[in-house]
Amino acid sequence: MTFNLGPVVLVLLFAVVPIIGIFLGLNSPGLRSRIPIWVAVFAGLIPILAMYIPKGFLSGQTGMSQRMDDWLIILAGFALLLGIVNVLQNNFKKVARRDSGWFYSVVLLIGLFVTGGAGIYGAVTKIGIGFNPDGSPTPFKYLTDWFFQPLQSTIFALLAFFMASAAFRAFRARNVEATILLVAAGLVMVGRVPILELLAVPFPSLHASAASASQAMGKLTEWIMDVPNGAAQSGIIIGAALGAASMALRVILGIERGYLGLGKGE
Amino acid sequence: MRRFLERLLGLDRRWIFLFVLLSVAIPIIVPIGLPVTTTESTRKAFDFIEALKPGDTILISFDYGPSSAPENDPMAEAVMRQCALRKIRFIVIALYPLGGLNLANNAVAKVVSEFPDLKDGTDYVNLGYKDGASAVMRRMGDDIAGAFPTDQKGTPLSQIPIMKGIASLRQVQLVFTVATGIIGEWWITQVHPQSGTPVIIGPTAVSAPKYYAFLNSGQLVGMLGGMKGAAEYEKLIRARYPEMARFYTTTHDFTATKGMDGQTVMHLIVLLFILLGNSAFLLSRRGAPR
Repeated sequence: MTFNLGPVVLVLLFAVVPIIGIFLGLNSPGLRSRIPIWVAVFAGLIPILAMYIPKGFLSGQTGMSQRMDDWLIILAGFALLLGIVNVLQNNFKKVARRDSGWFYSVVLLIGLFVTGGAGIYGAVTKIGIGFNPDGSPTPFKYLTDWFFQPLQSTIFALLAFFMASAAFRAFRARNVEATILLVAAGLVMVGRVPILELLAVPFPSLHASAASASQAMGKLTEWIMDVPNGAAQSGIIIGAALGAASMALRVILGIERGYLGLGKGE
Repeated sequence: MRRFLERLLGLDRRWIFLFVLLSVAIPIIVPIGLPVTTTESTRKAFDFIEALKPGDTILISFDYGPSSAPENDPMAEAVMRQCALRKIRFIVIALYPLGGLNLANNAVAKVVSEFPDLKDGTDYVNLGYKDGASAVMRRMGDDIAGAFPTDQKGTPLSQIPIMKGIASLRQVQLVFTVATGIIGEWWITQVHPQSGTPVIIGPTAVSAPKYYAFLNSGQLVGMLGGMKGAAEYEKLIRARYPEMARFYTTTHDFTATKGMDGQTVMHLIVLLFILLGNSAFLLSRRGAPR
């Protein structure tokens, strides 16, 4: 039997040490903040070390880093559950207090229970959430196909109306910067779609010149997207990555403690 | 004149809404058939998949929801059709929590009904949905079965013929992520550097500008940007496989090519509104007392 060091270390770091810490913390309030910081330090350091140290217990198939990815998937599932609990708490409270718009909370809760119930029914009866063996949709699929999907699409489609309205009311050449933005946006809008061909539809003699002008606009648009936009996006992405790295470092080193939700002096 | 400009600037937004509704709805009901020009990023994506050998495997990740389905659905369907024609096997997963799996199921069912020879488990497999997108990707980079122990029907991966010889993303020839939001970016920033697997993305038009940086750096093989990218892909497929025209000339199904008609009219309407709004704004400013 081979001894697997990785899981043992993980259990020590993320189970035994925090449990001991919680018991000790009952008498020592200072530990209340230190134990979660140590958990964050280990959770942050292990994947980084695994990238650089090719040792089986750290980065192997059943190593610590891979196991932590598994834990993360499980945690994400529980986070979803936590979200549902939060939605239930808030909306039940709203209904009980008869706050303004409480009726929408009733609709939300009915939707949650009916859809969730259909999903659980699919899991319990093992028919799943897709199609029945005879090819007909399961109750869950029926709900998603005929309620959830059209509703989501409708909400998003409303954006087109507000964007057009905002373009008319707010997209103004008020200064030089706004004018440059306006011109670039106009060029991209023309170059991305065959507007010139659309305008030439009633005039067959102009079709050829509209097509070549459209191609030229398309190339100009591609250049705008590729060069000025690409360069700006690279800068933004690199800047954001550096910011994320420095924030991660602050968490790992225990400097950033806002995520602990501790009060002053703790 | 001044009164006219003031009235124009104070135009009731319901008129704008009516214009938008008509400009989108009419071209979808009565297609105009406007031409689509192809861009380099879409051609690169198409050529990369064309260059794959029959029997190669690609992973198609449904990382979008119903809100962007008209843009993303045609991309996923076009790539799956190309795979079916080229005998390239595809593994389907969904990482988007708000309806990604249902869209994946619908797209797979649609393409399988078009190509009855496709066999579940041999030519394609649907592994279903898993929560925790970035962690799932990282896990798949080392061990696909670690993230998806079974397919959607509950069959263990070890018993699925298509998964023989595919333990991790390193054995997959391409990842195609059809994405809205951040999940698509994670495939580029977290999976590609780790496993070296090439990535093609099909983002919504609104997030496409960001991915030009990754195209320029070579971290992305190609991109199908928004509905335009999907329509370009449909055009490339029709040109390479004329028999595919039957899926794209029907008046019943929605296609990106058909959607581009509506988008073109919509762009024209928005441009006109911008011109009108700015003309009225500039003229009213000129006429205003200093």
